[in-house]
Amino acid sequence: MFAKQGDSRNKVNIKRLTVYAMFVAICLIIGYLENLLSITVLSGVPGAKLGLSNAMVLMLVYADDKKGAWGVNIARIVLSALLFGSPISFLFSLSGGLASLAVAHILSRLKSVSVIGASMASAVTHNVFQLLAATVFMGVSIAYYVPVLIVFGAVCGGVCGLFSQIVLNRTKSKNMFRF
Amino acid sequence: MKKGDIVVLGVIAAVFILSIVMLTSFSKNGSRVIVKQDNKVVYDQSITKNNTVDTGSNVVVIENKAVYMKQSNCKNQICVKSDKISKKGESIICLPNKVIVEIK
Repeated sequence: MFAKQGDSRNKVNIKRLTVYAMFVAICLIIGYLENLLSITVLSGVPGAKLGLSNAMVLMLVYADDKKGAWGVNIARIVLSALLFGSPISFLFSLSGGLASLAVAHILSRLKSVSVIGASMASAVTHNVFQLLAATVFMGVSIAYYVPVLIVFGAVCGGVCGLFSQIVLNRTKSKNMFRF
Repeated sequence: MKKGDIVVLGVIAAVFILSIVMLTSFSKNGSRVIVKQDNKVVYDQSITKNNTVDTGSNVVVIENKAVYMKQSNCKNQICVKSDKISKKGESIICLPNKVIVEIK
């Protein structure tokens, strides 16, 4: 909805819009590349990926823009399902994505947890909730897979957290997240 | 890394150990092999019986009390790369073809 000239009530914040659009676009591209360059072959764990698009969302959480983080997260999940996924993969990534962001949101309120810790916790949550979704929607128990996914979540989450930390430190002086 | 990060890592490690303990204490050798396609059971037999199940899209092989996915016409081939399964509760899933192999 674009505001008419002179109407200040519905004015769209152009910078906010641009940064969010950029983040969603980066998330989609990263997600697509991760699917192509799946680390399944490297690790022997089916379906494993790094989850760098989650790192983008965590950046917004730790730049203290929680609302933006939720918006970008939901937009990226819906769009990537429409572009590359199926209804089932949508349900999977929705349950994982919402739960992991909720955990990151809560942890980011604690002063003693940095983005690395929040990233690890949210990656583990993501993996566990995807398994739960598989159990609920497909009616099978794959509990057997939980330990592997916990280790993978911790490692990949740690890498993503480190990445977020570096980018946040470098953009701090540039006021990227000041709208 | 801050102090809270170590706590988070500790909690994750605890959950990991707990899940391993729970799984090893509950895991038993399976007795039946069930193959489902589109949530319909297409095969339900004892695991001791060597057999090959062809669902049209996937080929499941049951051999020496272990089950694996031999072939699939799906794109990602995750199910084919999965390890052999033999314990109760284990499963191989081919999401694109909606084929589920589980052991009960």
